[in-house]
Parts: sequence; structure tokens; C-alpha cells
Amino acid sequence: MTEKKSGGPGRRVRQSNPFWKASADDLVDAELDFHLAMRERDLAARGTDPAAAHRLALARFGDLESVAAECRELAHQTERKVRKTEYLAELTHDARFALRQLAKAPGFATVAILTLALGIGATTAIFSAVEAVVLRRFAYAHPERTVLVNEIEKGLDGNVSAGNYVDWAREAKSFAELGTTNFRSFNLAEGNTPERVPGAAVSASFFRVFGVPPLLGRAIADAEDQPGQSSVVVLSEGFWRRRFGADSAILGRSIRLDGEPHTVIGVMPESFDPLVVKEQLWVPIAFTAERRATHDEHYLNVVGLLKPDVTMAQANREMGEIMKSLAQRFPIDDGERGARVVSLPDFITGPFRARLLLLLGSVVLVLLIACGNVANLLLARSSARAKEMAIRAAIGAGRGRIVRQLLAESFVLALLAAGAGLLLARAGIAVLVANAPRGVPRLSEAGIDVAVILFAFAAAVVSAVLSGLAPAVRLAREDLQATLREGGRNSMSPTRDRVRTLLVAAEVALALTLLTGAGLLIRSSLNLGRVDPGFEVQGLLTARIALPARAYKEGAPQTELAFRQLVDDLGRRPGVLSAAATSQAPMGPGGNQNGLIPEGRALEPKNAVLARLRMVTPGYFATLKVPLRRGRLFTDDDKAGAPRVMIVSEALARSMWPGEDPVGKRVACCEGSPTDPKWKTVVGVAGDVRSGGPMQDVVPEFYLPVAQVPAEAWDWIQRTMTIVVRGDRTDPATLAGAIRAAARTMDPSLPVYRITAMRDELRSSMAQEQFNTGLLTILGVVGLLLAAVGIYSVIAYFVTLRSHEIGVRMALGATGRDVVGLLAWQGMRPILGGVVVGGMLAGWGTSLLHDSLFGVDARDPVTFGLVALLLIVTGFAATVIPAIRATRVDPTRALQG
Amino acid sequence: MATTKDRLRGTLDVLILKTLSWGPRHGYAIARWLEDTTGDALTIEEGSLYPSLYRMEQRGWIESEWGTSELGRDAKFYRLTPVGRKQLRAETAEWKSFASVVIGVLQCETPVRSGA
Repeated sequence: MTEKKSGGPGRRVRQSNPFWKASADDLVDAELDFHLAMRERDLAARGTDPAAAHRLALARFGDLESVAAECRELAHQTERKVRKTEYLAELTHDARFALRQLAKAPGFATVAILTLALGIGATTAIFSAVEAVVLRRFAYAHPERTVLVNEIEKGLDGNVSAGNYVDWAREAKSFAELGTTNFRSFNLAEGNTPERVPGAAVSASFFRVFGVPPLLGRAIADAEDQPGQSSVVVLSEGFWRRRFGADSAILGRSIRLDGEPHTVIGVMPESFDPLVVKEQLWVPIAFTAERRATHDEHYLNVVGLLKPDVTMAQANREMGEIMKSLAQRFPIDDGERGARVVSLPDFITGPFRARLLLLLGSVVLVLLIACGNVANLLLARSSARAKEMAIRAAIGAGRGRIVRQLLAESFVLALLAAGAGLLLARAGIAVLVANAPRGVPRLSEAGIDVAVILFAFAAAVVSAVLSGLAPAVRLAREDLQATLREGGRNSMSPTRDRVRTLLVAAEVALALTLLTGAGLLIRSSLNLGRVDPGFEVQGLLTARIALPARAYKEGAPQTELAFRQLVDDLGRRPGVLSAAATSQAPMGPGGNQNGLIPEGRALEPKNAVLARLRMVTPGYFATLKVPLRRGRLFTDDDKAGAPRVMIVSEALARSMWPGEDPVGKRVACCEGSPTDPKWKTVVGVAGDVRSGGPMQDVVPEFYLPVAQVPAEAWDWIQRTMTIVVRGDRTDPATLAGAIRAAARTMDPSLPVYRITAMRDELRSSMAQEQFNTGLLTILGVVGLLLAAVGIYSVIAYFVTLRSHEIGVRMALGATGRDVVGLLAWQGMRPILGGVVVGGMLAGWGTSLLHDSLFGVDARDPVTFGLVALLLIVTGFAATVIPAIRATRVDPTRALQG
Repeated sequence: MATTKDRLRGTLDVLILKTLSWGPRHGYAIARWLEDTTGDALTIEEGSLYPSLYRMEQRGWIESEWGTSELGRDAKFYRLTPVGRKQLRAETAEWKSFASVVIGVLQCETPVRSGA
């Protein structure tokens, strides 16, 4: 601060200031004192008595205190302003200087900026996904008070029965609003193309829970949420735009849903997607009195808005009490059930939070490796500039000033990199969103917004400090005088050596951590690919068909006949080998669970074994090629009126009759009463099927022939079946036409939807895992390449520094091999150190992957070993190449140099 | 009230700028010069001079420097900056036109009929 500078900005005022260290306050006092003293002197000179002159001077001055106070305040303001101007001027100066320096070394600047841009861009892209999916506020009026209320059975969250919902809404005091929704699809017959539209039946209070105002019209009113009212419907903005061309005269118009006319009363804005399931329309749920009293059949989702002063814990306590009393009133339906209140935003984002944060953590490792490389480049550059710095120090530049100048350089680098990184991030986000597995909530909203831009610049600032501080401090601390004496020749300062070795070790450790994670996920993927799904996936096509209640109101026989005729018709079409219908295909939607009680146990709910029910036509097993382990398959003779039969899966057979032959056993389920259990006889055992995809464990399942299912079962599945077709060609897509044609023959207004090849279904059931694996593999490879470049440049630099020494050694008779060995050993030491540290880091890091791994341990020694080997080999190559090059130099030339 | 005060302050500012247009002066010298040239016709409290000086310094119209007064004491000298000189010219022009309008009105001898 002692430097004298004339004409610098903002310094004019102070340069000859005798009160250099005096405070602004003292200066104000001194100035005013001078005024008073002068006035006094003048008055005295005109003959005023000295004492009177003092009083008179004060009186003429006015209110001394308030003037002094005002002046002090103004002086402080001025001082601050001056300081700011000075600071900004220095900053611009530093930045301009840094830019000029970088322009002089375009190669260095390009490599450094691209390296950082890669790190910042990748980190920013992942951050934008985290922001969109996890961090962004949900578009509810009060997201912090919006909750989901689930029933709990055997520790698992489940849906809610209408009776329980009605009782909760009446008794619970914790909620300002309690609403319910039942997701279902509707057949829309408007114009020529029948369409299946995902929607929901909701209570009027459902809209009040979220408090989002409609775009047009209004939401459902309480009076409309009653049975027997003429039907109304609220549309989503997206559906209204797509299907009705954003027609503003839509309100009051009637549209046919499932054959019934519904009057459009409102349109909800695009942002209204409260449970992130993208439903397109809402109709009143309008419980009948009978339904309101039903505590069985748990199919509703219940959402609530807590009162402002009620905590989650209080709400949970109250719901616990209410469930206790309901359990007493309805021991069969609610005896084993509790309730749980959870934050709705947390519930929606929960499953994705950990994975996304893990990805963010991984990409930060890549950024750190990039910073390591740039730090390396800056170090190399600063030693090349040691002489320049020494001269600047010699002519009076303070060390602080030099450090700041160097930091300015890395800041300019990092900010340029942030700009380039944002461009990269934009491309990255597009790729990410396009390739992400379906079902990640809100991911499609990811993009570059203010928060993302701020993040990119924050990442740049951190990168600048990380990569710039070490070289800057190192340089400033160096004995610059010595450097100058040596005429700028690089002295091999051992401390600087250590910084570089540490950088190499750190980069290796980080790359190892990343690659180990990627390696474990790759092994998991390979394992998943080898899992036997329990049926033959290739050549199968599935499609969903729902029969409207209105047209099939004659009940079970009519519905069953329709599906059987459809399947028979399909089976006769060209290209079709066999066809079947099922309430749920493996990995597909639909399906429900039932409790089964084997003969011999008391017919009480607590003796029931839960298993997944699949209602199938007889050809199901042959079409999917699910193997029969024992007994027989269903035949056309297993029809209504014939003895009731069922087929169980191996898993169910094991859990119900361990060690016994299940064929011939009798089971009560799905219908009947303790006095008339409607026994069903097990006629066969089918092989286990991975219904939830290869990641999921096998669950107990049982099959009923469609001709024998209880009449209510058609309502459980809303008369919706999955049609499964096996074709004679390898491409199952060609079968879609056959299914559509068969459906049209049966009923031209019937939409066929969710047409999916089984192999795509299998692929998408693993999409999340594959996506993570792919992304982490890319990050790992990028990290490895960056680390390799870093190692190479450090070793190459060392070799250049020591070319003189190498020359001496070789002149004294050392062979090229000796020299390479020596250099390689020195180069490999930090790499080996990094491998050890990275191994420990990875050991901790991979435990976070636990949930994503399949068939491989988080500390799998094979993966750890292979990755360590990969890094050692890469590191060795990056070390040996510059070492060999060094030995090619003619020793005489090296000695002269 | 506030407007009167502002006008007074504005008047004081332009007078100070004028005073400094002949060269650097310290605060007391400015006060003395105003006193002498206006013949005490403008009775201002001397203290109000200083906040005006500080404010104008902040605006960059004037700048200050500590030096030695004619009597050997340390004193703070103010001088006009180029910005301040421009400001003085602008305000002088404004005052002149304002004064000529007011004088024109005051010297008018026949009333102008309205709605002729």
C-alpha cells in the first residue's frame, strides 16, 4: 500500500494528503476547526474581544454539531465510492491484462478453456436435471403443506378404500382439505379416431388441495361431485390444445367419454400436473352411498393440505388414532391397516433424488480432474514466466498484487470456460432428456435457466480458485531474487515438484473412483442381461384393450366372451402363431393382488398369503412360453359352472405348501365367504416369471381362467385386458395391424392402446439402470482421458526439466533403458499412491451405489482390481512415452542446452 | 418548504462553483468571498457551506486537496473539475434565462388581456 502512483484513478485527492492515515472524521473536524479559527482571528483583527470573537464565530457558523455530522456522513459516502471505483478499475485492469496474456498463448488458453468447459458443462447439465427434478418448487399453492396420505399394510404403502377416505375426511382435523383421485383411462370417441385418454376421477376437494386456478372456466364443484348428477369434465391445457385446437368456445360443449356425454366446465393450465402422471382430464368421482361405506377395495390416492400450524408428525399421530378406531369398527378390512402422511413433493422426487445426486457427485469428480489439469498447465506456465514475475517483483510489485494478477488469469479462464460450458450444457441437456428413461418426473422441464446459469458461474469461480490458487501462491512464495540471479533458468524447486506429484495422485484417485462406479454398474448390466425372465421375450407383442362399462353392462359372461372371440379371431390371422388375453402381462400395467387361504387353515384374513392374480385365456402359457412344471394347463373346458381351477407359480407353491405337491390342493380366494369359500383346485404349477422386470425379485403369482373369475373381478380391472400375440416373424411390430384389425371387427369404436413389443418392455424396465450405467461410463472414460493427459503433461514437463541431467547420465554411460526405468519409476510413484487413495475413496463411494447394483457386491474385488490395473497401465503409458522420447535426445545437445 | 431549501442549496452551489472558477480556495476563503461580493445581502449560516462542498465533491464537480494556507496552517483546498466547470456554465445560463423572464414580467406595464 506504500506504492506511490500519480494520476491513477481516484488517487488525486489523497496524493499530498498530510493526514494520510487520519480518518475521514478527523479530517472533517480539522477542516471545520480551521474555519472557526480563521473567523475568530479575522474578528479579533477587527478589534473584537477574543472571548466574544470565539462566541461570535460559533454563532455565525450555525449548528456546528449537525454540520459536522452531515459532513462526516458525506465524507464516508465519498470514501466508499472512491474505494469502489478504485477496486473496479484495478479489476478491469487485471482482467484486461489477463486477456492480453492469454491471447499471447492461444494454445495454452484453448486447451485450458476447453478442459474446464468440459468439466463445467457436464456438471451444469447434470445440475439442471437435479434442479428440474428435485429442487424446483412444485406448482402447488402450498407445496410445503401438501401431503399424500397412504394406507399402510405390513409396513408397505398402499392405496386407500373409499370408506376410509370418507371417514378420514370427516374425522381428521389436521387437514384444511383432503382430496382423492383414482387414475383411469377413458375412451374418447370424438371425430374419426377413437382414443384412449389417461385421466382421473377426483373429488371436488382434489383441486382445492393444490389451489391452482383454472386457465378457463372452473374446477369441479362440490354439488357436481355427487352421484346422479349430469357428468362434467375438466380438461388439461395440453389435451385441450391438441385435441380441440385450443378452442375457447370449449366451455359448455359436450364430449363423449366411455360413451357417456360429459359437459366441459374448465381447462387446467399446463403446470397443473400435481402427481406428475400427466393425466389429461378429470371427472367427478361422485361416490355412491354404497361406495362411501365400502372399506374393502383399496384403489384411491388421497392427497391433503395440512392446516398451516399442523406438523407432519401431528397429522401422523392423528391419522394413527383414526385408523385405530377404524380397525375396531371394520376389523376385516382395516384390522391390519395403518395410515401414513408424507410430504407429496418428497414422495414424488424421493426415488430420483439419490440417483441424481450421485450423478452430480460423479460429474463433480470429472470437474475436479479438469481443474487438476488446468492447475498443471498454469504451473507449467508460471514457471516459464518466473523471470517475468521476478522482474515485476524487483520493480516493486507486491506479492499480493502478483498473486491477484495470476488469480485474475485463472478467473478469466474459468469465466470463458463457463460461457463455453453453458453451450455444452445446453447440448448435454438435450441429449440427457432425449435418452433418459421414461418416468423421471419433471425431467423434460430441465433447461438453462437463471439458477443453472448461476450454478455454472459458481462452478467456474470454484474451478478458478482450485486451479489458480496453488500455482499463484507457489509462485509468490518462491525466492524470486534467486530466480532473477539464475537468469530465469528454471530451478527445480522440490516443493513445486511435490505439488505436481500430488496433482497427479489426486487425478488418479478421482478417475479410479469414477471408473470403479462405472465398472460396477457395467457388471450389473451384464448380470441383468443374463436374467431369465421366465418366458420367451422375442417375437411377442402386447396391446391393451378396454371394454366400456356401458356397452358391456350385461356382465361377466358378455365381457369374457368378447375377449375370447377377439383372441380366437386374432389367432386365425396371418402371421400370428398364437394369441391370448391376460389381466396383466409381465412388466406391463394393470393387475392386482389377492389374499389366498389354503384349505386347512382358518378362513381369517390373517392366514391369507398375498399373491398377484393374473386372469388369463387358456392360450396364455403357450403364447408366452411360460413352462409348466407340474399338472396341466387351462383348457376350454375350465368354463363357468365347471369345477373351479387355478394354476400357481413355483414361488407361491413353495410358500404355501413347502415340500408338498400343490396339484390337487384347494384354495379359497377372491370371492365367497367363510361359509361358502368357493374352493378352487390347483391343477398345475407354472414356472416363475419376473413380472417386475429383471431387477425385481420373483413374487408369488396365481392364474385363474377368465371363464371362471368372479364377476366383480372385471370391475377390479375395469374390463381392461392385455392382448398378447406371438408372431412367426422376428419383428413383432408387424403384428400391430392384426390386433387393430381384430379389435375393429369386434367394435369399431374400441381403441387399441399401449402397443408394445415385449422386448421393448424388457428394455424399458431396465432403462433407468442402463441410463445410469451409460452416463457413469461416459464420465469415467472422460475422467480417465483427462487424468491420462494430466499425467502425460506432468511427466513430459519433468523430463524437459531434467534433459540436462539425463544427458549427463547418458554421457556417463547409462543406457536408455536405465534412464527410462528411473523416470518411469519416479512417474509411477504418484500414480500408485493415487490408486491406493482412490481405492479407499471408491470403497466409500460405491456403497452409495448399492441400490443400483444387481448381482455384484459394492466392493467387488474383480471390478476394483481391473479398474486399478486399467489406471496403472494408462498411467504407465503416459509416463513411459515422454521418458523414451527423452533418451532419444543427443546427450551432447542436452548438455549444451 | 423542501423546495425552498433545495432552491437555496442550488443557489449556494452555483455561487460556490463561481467562487472556485478563479482558482482553488479553502472553505473559509469561499465564505469570505461570498460575504464580500454580496455585501452580506445573502445571509447564510457559514456552516451550511460545508455540506454543499462535500456533496459537490461526491458528485465530482469539485475536488479537494490538503495544502498550506497563506498563514501556514493546514487547510483543505477545493478546485473545480471539468465536470464542475460545465455544471457552472449550464447553471449560469439557466439563471440568466430565468432572471430575464422574471424581469420581463416585472417590468411589464400594461396588463395582457386574457381571452382576447
